Amino acid sequence: MPQPRQTEKPAVGIVFDSALSRVDDALAMALLYGLDGKKEERFVSVSVSRVSLKAAIYSDVVGRFYAGAVSGAIGFGGRTLPVGLADSGTLKNDEPFFTQPLVKTLVDGKPAYPSDIHDESDTGEVAAVIRNALTAQWDANTIVVVSGPASNLVRVLETGGAKDWIQRKVKLLVFTGGRFPDGPAETNIKADVESARRLFAEWPTPIVACGAEMDGLVSYPGSSIEKDFAWSPAHPVADAYRAGGVMPYDAPVWAMHSALYAVRPQEGYFKVSDTGTIGVLDDGRTRFTPSSGGKHRYLIFDPAQKERIVKTYTEIASAKPVPRPQRIPLPKQQKPAEPKKPLEEKPDEKK
Amino acid sequence: MTFTRKALARRTFLRGAGAAVGLPFLDAMVPALSFGKTIETPVRMAFVYVPIGAIMEHWNPSYTGPLGELPRILKPMEPFRKDMLLLGNLTHNGGRALLDGGGDHARATGGYLSGVQPRKIAEDSSYGDRNGHSTAAIKAGITADQIVANQIGGKTRFASLEVGMEDAQQAGNCDSGYSCSYTNNLAWKSDTQPLPPTLDPRALFERLFGDDGDLSPQARERRNLYRRSILDYVTEDSKKLETRLGPADRSKLDQYLTSVREVEVRIQQNEKDNRQIDPGMEKPGGTPGDFAEHFKLQSDMITIAFQADLTRTVTFLVGREGSNRPYREIGVPEGHHNLTHHRNNPEMIEKVAQINCYHMRTFAAWMEKMKAHQEGDRSLLDNSMIVYGSGIADGNRHTHEDLPTIVLGSGGGFLKPGRRLVYRRETPICNLYLTMMEAMGVHRENFGDATGHLPGLTAA
Repeated sequence: MPQPRQTEKPAVGIVFDSALSRVDDALAMALLYGLDGKKEERFVSVSVSRVSLKAAIYSDVVGRFYAGAVSGAIGFGGRTLPVGLADSGTLKNDEPFFTQPLVKTLVDGKPAYPSDIHDESDTGEVAAVIRNALTAQWDANTIVVVSGPASNLVRVLETGGAKDWIQRKVKLLVFTGGRFPDGPAETNIKADVESARRLFAEWPTPIVACGAEMDGLVSYPGSSIEKDFAWSPAHPVADAYRAGGVMPYDAPVWAMHSALYAVRPQEGYFKVSDTGTIGVLDDGRTRFTPSSGGKHRYLIFDPAQKERIVKTYTEIASAKPVPRPQRIPLPKQQKPAEPKKPLEEKPDEKK
Repeated sequence: MTFTRKALARRTFLRGAGAAVGLPFLDAMVPALSFGKTIETPVRMAFVYVPIGAIMEHWNPSYTGPLGELPRILKPMEPFRKDMLLLGNLTHNGGRALLDGGGDHARATGGYLSGVQPRKIAEDSSYGDRNGHSTAAIKAGITADQIVANQIGGKTRFASLEVGMEDAQQAGNCDSGYSCSYTNNLAWKSDTQPLPPTLDPRALFERLFGDDGDLSPQARERRNLYRRSILDYVTEDSKKLETRLGPADRSKLDQYLTSVREVEVRIQQNEKDNRQIDPGMEKPGGTPGDFAEHFKLQSDMITIAFQADLTRTVTFLVGREGSNRPYREIGVPEGHHNLTHHRNNPEMIEKVAQINCYHMRTFAAWMEKMKAHQEGDRSLLDNSMIVYGSGIADGNRHTHEDLPTIVLGSGGGFLKPGRRLVYRRETPICNLYLTMMEAMGVHRENFGDATGHLPGLTAA
C-alpha cells in the first residue's frame, strides 16, 4: 500500500533491550509506551536478553496491549512489533512477574493477554530485529536503552555492516548496569562480562550508564497500582507488579531511570558526570576514568528530584494508551494464529 | 573439434558455420580411471522471481518438519516434496519503506538478491533522499548470483544468464519515483549496473547456441533464407562425435539435440503464431502471447544451458514486479496488480490465488524436466538449487516479511530438502543466499544484510 514519504523528522526512536529480571523492566516498558503516546518518542524495537520464550511472550503481550494506540506497537506491515529473543546467555529462568499474567483468564475463560508468540519462530532474531529497526530511522534519531546484560547489543555489533548503521542512526546508548565511579561488580555486567567489556570498548556512539548506585534510591509506590491503573480491568504491567511481590509493596525503578533519561535528557531529572571511559575488569567491576575526549558518562542521583521523578513515573506509566488510527487495517489472517503443530520435528530443524 | 583417446572435455561444443551447441554431461566425459569413484558434477543455482507475492493463507502450511500435504498454491509441487525446502519467515528488509515512502514493488525486486534498499530517484532532481543526499542516479547492490558468477563464471561459457518474460524498459519512473531499472531487473553486476534479462526466446536461443561473432551478415542471411536449424550447421561435428560414444551416450546426445531442435521449432512456430493472434498486451517480436508457452521456452533453454554447462548461475524474472498482466488463458482477464489490492474481497483473492497456482503449475512442469535428466547418480535438479519466490509476501498490504520461498534441489547433496523450516521473524533472506554461495564453492563472511547462515539447511 503506497505510503507518503516522511519529510519531517519524527520523534526519536527508542530501541529497548531488557532481561526482564525485575518488575521495573515491565514498568520501564509502560513508561516508554506512555511517552510514545505523548509523541515524545517512538517505541521502535523491543528485545529480550533472557533466553526465555515466556519473557518474549510477556513483551509481546505488553506491545499488543498498546497495539493500535501508539506508533511503535504495530511494526512493519501491520503485524505487532517483532520481539527479539536471545539465542543464548546465562539468564534463562522464568520470573513469576512475567509468567503469572500469561495464565490469567477473563470471566469467559479466554486468556486475558493473547499473544502472537507460540514458539521461537514467532520471535525475532535479535540482531536482525534491532538492525532492521535502525534502518527505518532518520540519521542520529535513535536512542538504545538496555536493562540487562550487553549480550544482545554485542550480537548486533558482530553483524556485518551493523556498526555502520549504529554509527549513522544511533545518537545515544543508555546502559543500566555497572557501578560508578567504581565499586563491587553489578549483576547485569556479571551476567556477561565479556560482552560488557566489548560493548564499552566497541560501541561507536556516546554511552550514558545508569549504575547500580542509582538503584533503590527511589521506589515505585505500590498504592499507585490499584489507584492509577484502575481504569483497566486487565493491565499486563499492573498484573506483573502484583505478581512480583506481596501487595502492597514498593518496587524498584532502576530501569525506569534509564528510560526517562533517554527520552527527557534535558529536563534535569538526573545529573550527569563529566566525560570519560568506562572499562570492565575481569571480575565484572566497572571503572570510570575521566577524560575530556571520552564517550562515556554516568547518571548521578539528585535527591531534590525524588518526588518529581516518582510523580512522572506514576503518571506516565499508568497513562491510558492514546488511540491512533491504523494506516492499514489488519487482515483476517493477522488474527492470533493457531499454534503450529510439529510433524516429527527435530531439535535442529527449527532455530 | 579434435578427438583424442582422452575423455571428452566437460565443455565440449559442437561447432558449425556460426553456430556452437554445448553438450550435456556424457559418460564419455568421465576419465576412464575415475569409474567407480564419485563423479564431480557442477552445482547450479537459479533464482526464479514471481511478482507481487502470493495469497499466503494458501502458501504456508500449519506444520514444520518433513513436508506433508502441501497447501493449495504449492499442490503442483507434490511430486517434488522430497526435493523441496519450504522456508518460512525470511525477510527482505530493504523492500520496506524505511521512511522512503511508496515504491514497494521497485524495492522488492531491486534489492531482492542484494539485501539493500534501492535508491529512490524522482522526477524532480532537487528531490533528495531523507538525509538530503543526491538521488540523481540509480543505486542498488551487487546481487548474490553475480557474487557467484564473479568467482566461478570463468568455468563456463556464460558467467551468468539473465532471463525474463515481461518488460525491458530500463529508463523512467516505474514505481513512486523508483527507476524502472529496479522493477525490471533481478541481477545487478554492481550497485549501479543492472543486467537486463533477455525476454525474447529467439534472442535467448541465439545467445546460447548461435555464435554471432563468427557469423557474417551473408551467412546470417543465408540461414534466415533457408530457415535451417542451427543444428544443421553442427551435423558434421556431431557425426564425428557419435563415433566416440557408447550406446547410452549416443541415446543421451540424441535426446538432448532433439530437445534443442524442439525448442527451435517452437520458437519458429511462435513467430508465425504471433502474426496471427493478439496476445492482448505489448510483446517483443517472437515472443509467445501465452504465459505458459513463453515460460516453457525460457525454462527449457535454462535447462539446456544447465545440461550443457553453458552457465551455472541464472536469474529468471517471470514478471516485472507490479505487473498488471491479465491471465485470460485461465479465465482471469483483470490485471494481476489490480487484483492483488483486493482489500479482502473474496472474489479478487480467489483470482490472485488462481494466478499463483498457474505460476506454480508452470514452474512444476519445468522442475519435472530438471528432475528427468540424469547426471551420473543424481538428477540435474538434484545438482541444482532453484529458488522460487518473491520480494513481497502479501500483495495487498505490501509486506516484505515471511516471503513465499521454496528451494528445489539439493545443490549436489549440500542441502537437505524435503522439509518445512520456519526461521525466526526478521531473518534476512540474504542468510539463504549466503548458505547457497557455500554450496557453489563461494565462501563469504557477509553478504547484503545477512546476519549469518540459515541453520539446519544443509545435509551436514
